[in-house]
Amino acid sequence: MNLFKRLFFDFDTIADNCTKVMGMNQRNLEYVYPNNPRSAFAYANDKMLTKQSLQAVGLSVPKTFISVRYFYELQRIEPELRQLTGFVIKPASGSGGNGIIVIKGYEDDHWISVSGQLYTLEKIRKHIADIIFGVFSFGLNDCAIIEERIEQHEYITALSPLGLADIRMINYKGKNVKAMLRIATKASDGKANLHQGGIGVAIDLLSGRSFAAQIARENVEVHPDTGISLIDVQIPFFKEILALCEATAQVIPLGYLGIDIALGVDGPVVLEVNARPGIEIQNISDEGLIVPLESVDRDYL
Amino acid sequence: MRKYFLTPSFFYQVTLFTLLSITMILMGYKLFILEYELADLIPTVGYEVEVSMEMNGHGDKLSLSTYLPLTTTHQSISDERNEPDIFATQISIDGPNRIVSWSAPQVKGSHLVRYSYFVQTQHLLYTIDKDIPIADRLPSYLQPYLKAEKGIQVNDPLIASTLQELGVDGSSTVYHALYTIHDHLQNQFENRNFSGFTDALTALKLKEASCNGKSRLFVALTRKLGLPSRLVGGLILTSGSKKTSHQWVEVYIRGHWVPFDTINNHFAELPKNYLRLYYGDKVLFKHSANINFKYLFHITKKLVPRKEMRETMYASPLNAFNMYKIFERIGISQNLLKIILMIPLGALVVVIFRNVIGLETFGTFLPALIATAARETGLWWGLFGFLMIILISALVRKFLDYMQLLHSPKMAIMLTVVVISMMLMTIVAVQSSLFDLAHISLFPIAILAITAERFAIVQEEQGFLRALRISFWTAIVIIAAYVVMSSLFMQSLIIAFPELLLFLIILNLWLGKWVGMRLSEYVRFRKLIFKGSR
Repeated sequence: MNLFKRLFFDFDTIADNCTKVMGMNQRNLEYVYPNNPRSAFAYANDKMLTKQSLQAVGLSVPKTFISVRYFYELQRIEPELRQLTGFVIKPASGSGGNGIIVIKGYEDDHWISVSGQLYTLEKIRKHIADIIFGVFSFGLNDCAIIEERIEQHEYITALSPLGLADIRMINYKGKNVKAMLRIATKASDGKANLHQGGIGVAIDLLSGRSFAAQIARENVEVHPDTGISLIDVQIPFFKEILALCEATAQVIPLGYLGIDIALGVDGPVVLEVNARPGIEIQNISDEGLIVPLESVDRDYL
Repeated sequence: MRKYFLTPSFFYQVTLFTLLSITMILMGYKLFILEYELADLIPTVGYEVEVSMEMNGHGDKLSLSTYLPLTTTHQSISDERNEPDIFATQISIDGPNRIVSWSAPQVKGSHLVRYSYFVQTQHLLYTIDKDIPIADRLPSYLQPYLKAEKGIQVNDPLIASTLQELGVDGSSTVYHALYTIHDHLQNQFENRNFSGFTDALTALKLKEASCNGKSRLFVALTRKLGLPSRLVGGLILTSGSKKTSHQWVEVYIRGHWVPFDTINNHFAELPKNYLRLYYGDKVLFKHSANINFKYLFHITKKLVPRKEMRETMYASPLNAFNMYKIFERIGISQNLLKIILMIPLGALVVVIFRNVIGLETFGTFLPALIATAARETGLWWGLFGFLMIILISALVRKFLDYMQLLHSPKMAIMLTVVVISMMLMTIVAVQSSLFDLAHISLFPIAILAITAERFAIVQEEQGFLRALRISFWTAIVIIAAYVVMSSLFMQSLIIAFPELLLFLIILNLWLGKWVGMRLSEYVRFRKLIFKGSR
């Protein structure tokens, strides 16, 4: 009943609010299709291509140790692999975190993953072979990337001790328009995924301070597992983050994109780029996307 | 200037305009020049009647015959289908009746013959002019309808004395005589639910009878007065299975055979749900002896297009039925074509649910295809089968995933699992006499396998609850698509105006440019939307 009352008495406010919120149809028709040519989607879908493009102009990405695209290359990886103690193996075209193994150490002829599993050389070769054969990427032949394991900045580790947190930036025509920090929880199984109970933290673009946080659309102030406050926290290297995102947008030929940033000890690195960034960030930041996007368009003219 | 012509929005508008013009020209031509009546598109009620006959042969010649209804002003018969088993079929006309007979020289074992037809009926009500006298002389072709027959003892003194008691004779008016006889039989006689043969005199003596006894007595009394009359045998059409047939009478009055039924009190009236099968004092089934003969009528009520619409469409040069003939020549039946024509409509329903309402579904057009397949299983069994198959295959996929197989072989296994679970469900369904569910094997197998794969991925990435929720939404969209696609009005509309398919393209072109928020997004972003309101 209250809902109808509000609809009736505050119709103008509500109608005005509606124009500020971006729906899926509007995102696709007015932002994704006109600004992201289909041919440029590969820059987002193929993580190897993303990395190479960014690296070529000197932007920070996790350092690639080995990339394996063909089966015969599997025989040659052993000496290089033996040198490594901390690394990540991931499919270049995977989605949703499938097929990713994070190795934190080497002991007695096998590697140890962050979840405590032991990997022999054979087991790692088998996993890489699976990636190449497309087990994790819908039957497409894929490339396996073995890259540096980002050591998370201590400030961020304090906020997200249960897994790697990442910063999602929405960038439109080269301008950063919205940012949030995604934090893993016990409920989200160590993944910084909002669908699965991860925390979304809204970050003010000017100051780099967090001002709100949500789990499953409910406002929270502290991390449910650690009790550490999530509000009014300063993100370190924020100026660098903003600059890295703008530079990334210059390199990647997508006009409307989501950029995922991890914050390492030495500064931010680009993890991946998304050509169809989700719209849930509006709920996290408690503000529709249309206002900042239209202001970019006004400046652009 | 030149650049303007090559913009996407220019092509968009030209396409819209062209499609809209073609649709409007074709529809306008049919509506105004060929005079299609839109009112005729609203469907009417009809009945599908199936008679199934079971028998056991012992190696001898076996023959069987029954009456088939004819199209008259009261009833229209169409879509007749004969499933003769091993028998040879012969259909012949005998006076006012149509007889079908099946026979085979050496019949062993149990056999089942089925014959079905579609019936559309009209309510008939006659007004009898109160002044018409009973005619003295009748043309010779009506003479047989005055004679005594076995069981209709016109000349028995009891008949004459009964008429005397009722106070009617040859000088009465037709109306008065019939009214008196009808009233007497309706109100002074007990209705008996007895299936055996009762002759006119027995009925008269007992003052009670079933339909055949009352009808013979009615015929005997009217014939004695000089009114030509006859028995009519038929069925009362109600949904369900039955063995009981019905008899009533018709009296010839000034060029019309006027119906009377003294069991259910219909005076000069034939209700909409009466089906005439034969005229005269006949037995509905004749068959060789000792064959353990059993029969059953199965009647299903159905909505069907009006006859008028079919006639208009036959007459028009742009008629859709011609189109059907073309397809029939290459082996695509009318029914299949009707289903194919409804798929675009189902797809539009899906588009509306996804892009306007914002329900996430598995597969873009899976709901429309499942809804199509559910025509055979019925909606609820279709949904049940769909969910079962998805759950079983998703479980299997989880197991396959654990073993880490390559994509294509994994999908081939999923496909096989879908086929196996369909087969198992069909067998279980047939064993437990759920014949509708047995049609589950008509489901689109490859699409189901892909859906199961999607289910498993969603379950893995977003949790089991979310996968279940999307299945639930998919089920809702299937229901909606089913309701729209099986709507007879929509079917008639598209059959009459196939150019509406172009209009569906127009709607999709429009929806393809629609940037409004989806209904579900109003809920999702409610906090933002109600911000600052009190």
